[in-house]
Amino acid sequence: MTVPPATRTRGREAAQALAAELSKLATLPATFLTLGGTFVVNLILAIAFTNAGLRDSTGTRSAPDIGLASIGYGQAGFVILGVMAACSEYVGGQIRTTLTAMPRRALQFTAKHVALAIVVLPAAAITAASGVALAAGVLGDTAAPVTSGRVAGALGGVTAYLALTTLISAAVGALVRRTLAAVVVLLGYLFIAGPLLRDHVPAARYLPDSAGFAMWFPPAEDAGAVTPVHGGLLLMAWTVVLIAVVVLGYRRWDV
Amino acid sequence: MRALAAETSKLASLPAVWIATAAGVVVPGVIAAITASAALGAIDRGPAAIAAIDTGYQELAFGVVGAIILGVVAVSSEYVTESADSGGGRQITTSLTAVPSRLRFLLAKLSAIAISSAMLAITAAVTTMGVVRVVLGEHAPALGADDVPRLAGVACYWVYSALLAAGITVLTRHGVVPLAVLIANTSVVSVTYLLTKITPLANYLPDMAGVRMFIRKLADSTAEISPLTGGLVMTAWVTVLLVTAAISFTRRDA
Repeated sequence: MTVPPATRTRGREAAQALAAELSKLATLPATFLTLGGTFVVNLILAIAFTNAGLRDSTGTRSAPDIGLASIGYGQAGFVILGVMAACSEYVGGQIRTTLTAMPRRALQFTAKHVALAIVVLPAAAITAASGVALAAGVLGDTAAPVTSGRVAGALGGVTAYLALTTLISAAVGALVRRTLAAVVVLLGYLFIAGPLLRDHVPAARYLPDSAGFAMWFPPAEDAGAVTPVHGGLLLMAWTVVLIAVVVLGYRRWDV
Repeated sequence: MRALAAETSKLASLPAVWIATAAGVVVPGVIAAITASAALGAIDRGPAAIAAIDTGYQELAFGVVGAIILGVVAVSSEYVTESADSGGGRQITTSLTAVPSRLRFLLAKLSAIAISSAMLAITAAVTTMGVVRVVLGEHAPALGADDVPRLAGVACYWVYSALLAAGITVLTRHGVVPLAVLIANTSVVSVTYLLTKITPLANYLPDMAGVRMFIRKLADSTAEISPLTGGLVMTAWVTVLLVTAAISFTRRDA
């Protein structure tokens, strides 16, 4: 008895997995509700920050710095998106259908994260650019002069930061499998534990949130500070290691 | 009374409540240990003999995240749809079958949340103040009669925050959005704090007014609010929100 030859190549299997994950993500109502909500909230916060900038209470007049300040809060929306994308599989047992259709778990997991990155990158770029454009528009001639290279660097950094944060959130979501618990862990870290550690423990600057902040936040003057490029590499390393660890567990555990 | 016992039992058996307890006790405790040892270093080097007046209290203002989680999950767990394997139902339908009076149900739920968040606040306050005393030793600010109303203010702030979180979740019926908004707003530089830079009216938002109950030196404060006024302002916010939540809860389909 001969084994029938495989009907599709590895490449085609990967492409189909990616298409399937993209279609699931695009038809999840939470995806666009979250992205839209984040965009609106971020814009409202950017208006508030710009107003504060006009009164000189931000300590800077640079349009990219003021326009991106709201991202510190807006990232919560991207965290939620990542967690939802991962945890929606575990509501009502969709994960069993998913893994019946795509039995190679590492491939399915990778496809899900690539699909997420494809959706998030443009959304993050639009969200970040809208804040900067708003700040630049309102500040007008009173804005501090910045080079276009600085603006492009900050926008690129923030977009990459948001995308990587979303991927980390999705990996944590897949690990925890419960939306609320994952959201609590991630937001508690990003908003409470992270900033406090940053103030008190010098080594905390290599943690994912501080390293990521270095990618777009106005660079600190002190010599030991993480540069944007190093911050980006550090955050990428954190993301890859976390995803790799979760994949190992995902392949071994029952769903 | 039996409704209250039922709600307490439901709350105590929620796994997420253990996350809330851990967050509420560990977060202020650990932060207090870190800031207190930093303060100890400054005392050893500098002229100051006693740590700042708000040592411990500042940390308890972050620990409120535990009470927020408690308030959100207590309500959102009622609305989680079970998987299709177990019937696809929601707990709220069972709860309202057992306690048909909506107001009585909501009252019992809110009482259970208030009692447990008060207990959480007391545990966290004892732990945090204990950590501060252990780390700072003789340099710790003295605990005296002044601290009784301040610690009561901490408990009050935690209970009110839990009730606010629960009230918002009754309106949204899903935990993620209130949780995200409220946790983001517990951060070191909160959104409401930034709003006070734009308009002094923002000092009367519930959290900014509420912390006045126990924080004495607010950084860059743009308005002077006495502890009592702060407490009353937050009470007013909680009352308005809970009445809105009760009206919506009694009139909407479950």
